[in-house]
Amino acid sequence: MKYCSHCKVYIRGDKLQCTLCENSLPDTHDEEETLFPTVPLIFQSHLALRITAFISIAALVVSFALKEIFPSNINSPLFVLLALVTMWLSLIVVIRKRHNIAKTIMWQVSLLSILSILWDWRIGWRGWSLDYVLPISYVAAMFVMYITAKIMRLSVRDYIVYLLLDGLFGIIPIVFVLFDWITVYYPSIICVAISIIFLSAILIFEGENIKIELDKRMHI
Amino acid sequence: MKLKQSKSVEWTKLDNASKYFPATANELDTKVFRLSCELYEMIDPNILQKALNKTIESFPFFKSILRRGVFWYYFESSDLIPEVSEESLSICAPIYNKNTKNLLFRVFYYHKRISLEIFHALSDGKGALLFLQTLVYHYLVYRYEEQFKNYKPALDYNASIKKKMDDSFNKHFIGDNGFTRNVIDHNKRIKAHRIRGKRTEENRMKLIEGTMSVKAVLGEAKKNNTSLTIYLAALFIYSIYKEMNAIERRRPIVLSVPINLRQFFESDTARNFFSTMNVSYQFRKEETELKDIIESITESFQKDLTVDKINYKINRLISLEKNPFMRIIPLPIKDYSIRMANKLVDRGITGAISNIGKVQMPEEFEPYIRQFTVCTSARRPQICMCSYGDRLVISFTSPFKDTEIQRRFFEHLSNKGIQIEISSNM
Ligand SMILES: [Zn+2]
Repeated sequence: MKYCSHCKVYIRGDKLQCTLCENSLPDTHDEEETLFPTVPLIFQSHLALRITAFISIAALVVSFALKEIFPSNINSPLFVLLALVTMWLSLIVVIRKRHNIAKTIMWQVSLLSILSILWDWRIGWRGWSLDYVLPISYVAAMFVMYITAKIMRLSVRDYIVYLLLDGLFGIIPIVFVLFDWITVYYPSIICVAISIIFLSAILIFEGENIKIELDKRMHI
Repeated sequence: MKLKQSKSVEWTKLDNASKYFPATANELDTKVFRLSCELYEMIDPNILQKALNKTIESFPFFKSILRRGVFWYYFESSDLIPEVSEESLSICAPIYNKNTKNLLFRVFYYHKRISLEIFHALSDGKGALLFLQTLVYHYLVYRYEEQFKNYKPALDYNASIKKKMDDSFNKHFIGDNGFTRNVIDHNKRIKAHRIRGKRTEENRMKLIEGTMSVKAVLGEAKKNNTSLTIYLAALFIYSIYKEMNAIERRRPIVLSVPINLRQFFESDTARNFFSTMNVSYQFRKEETELKDIIESITESFQKDLTVDKINYKINRLISLEKNPFMRIIPLPIKDYSIRMANKLVDRGITGAISNIGKVQMPEEFEPYIRQFTVCTSARRPQICMCSYGDRLVISFTSPFKDTEIQRRFFEHLSNKGIQIEISSNM
């Protein structure tokens, strides 16, 4: 052990300087053990994210510049902005929730529903979001969730609540049909039918699991 | 379509003290603490793994993962198998991540040292120590199989598994009736002196451990007619004081001191069962001496460390948790309010000091164990200590680069003729 004559303490480990006063220690030529591992610094800079951020800003600036140079009726910078917002939101969701596949899918579906309605409304309401996007994404999510859960060998309780939630989402298009908000009926009808069959299946086969899972999550 | 039936899963609510940790843990303050045992010989990872497998059998609660519900967090039992690994992270690196389902503790080995790092929601210092003692016990029994073949040393912690998993808060405190209007402490919220400084790279913890003789330090405490903890707390305040300028000295120094409730209320739990008290010292115009500080904080220890005071404080916290309005607030809002409240409390605290006390191991192990140490992640300089045999280890952790307070602290002891060994991670 080395001795610091300033602090009157012994210094353990392979130190060259005193830990307390930073004066250099006498070299004792002893084989000193290391007490702690050297932990390399982590640089938390994701190059891919930075490039994406750069391209986003560039695209936005270029679209504004083009609109100024070649005036037109179409509000192209707004499209670019909406597309970028959509992309970044999904990206953030995937990165933040990547450890919970079922939850990620639920978030993506909710996000897609809201954004598609916004898009549809901004470009002059044609109704394609309610006609196609919502019912198709609910059904797709149901199958994707079930299949990934099987592939990833998730235990039932890890995804059952999200499956239930998506099944409930899938019934929503019945409202579009009843209030006549849509022009094309069959996607919504198929979606509602599949959802009801799906829901009855998970309630009949997994009712107990759902109850336990809800008890846990909702305890007050 | 056929969905496979899965076995039901056990889950538990968090105890009163645990609720605070998931809400406030972040990169700057991970709410992780570490207990280590240093042997006189290199650690064998295979034997350690074997010992860990054996230990976890008697601490099933340590296999819990922390999950978020709609209104509260909860612990869920898991099938994860804890694995020992060679130490490769900085001290008290984050453990709890709300997006991953991982265990809330890790076991490291490095050369001659076994370390246990734990997320505070799972357990407190005393509970974690029980786990580490059991781990070291099994390690040494496996390591010296021949020697302990006929006769196994006795480990004097024999609580049933059920007792170790007890929520002792729930058992001993009922909360006062009705809604608590006096939720906020009506004692005037004093602003304490806060230590500032340049942070270390990546906000890593800077650990400085001083090892010395228990007898020698106890002798110094006796000279001042006080206990070891109070003597060292006073010395900590004194060292901070010496680094303050005249303007800063208008604010008091406040130390937060955790209290192990097992000494007041019967409990064998390996989960959280502690409370905290604050001791403060307000400086006067004239120079302050160490003995002035000792006198003052001895008084506050005597005044505040009574079963009545503790009962009052914890019952208030429990009734807050049982308040129907509190219960139906969604978790993200609860988390946010806890963080805000925590910031307020933080303004009233300068540092913290925590004494885990004496670590007892079977006599037969004496030739193998050098020392036990304890340290924690901290937003401000914090002292943790424990002793084994005659070796007292005082560990400073700090997020700051400067070591002036630590230097003054240890220098004071070495000037009294106490021999000190310093080890540090940076
Ligand atoms: Zn020195």
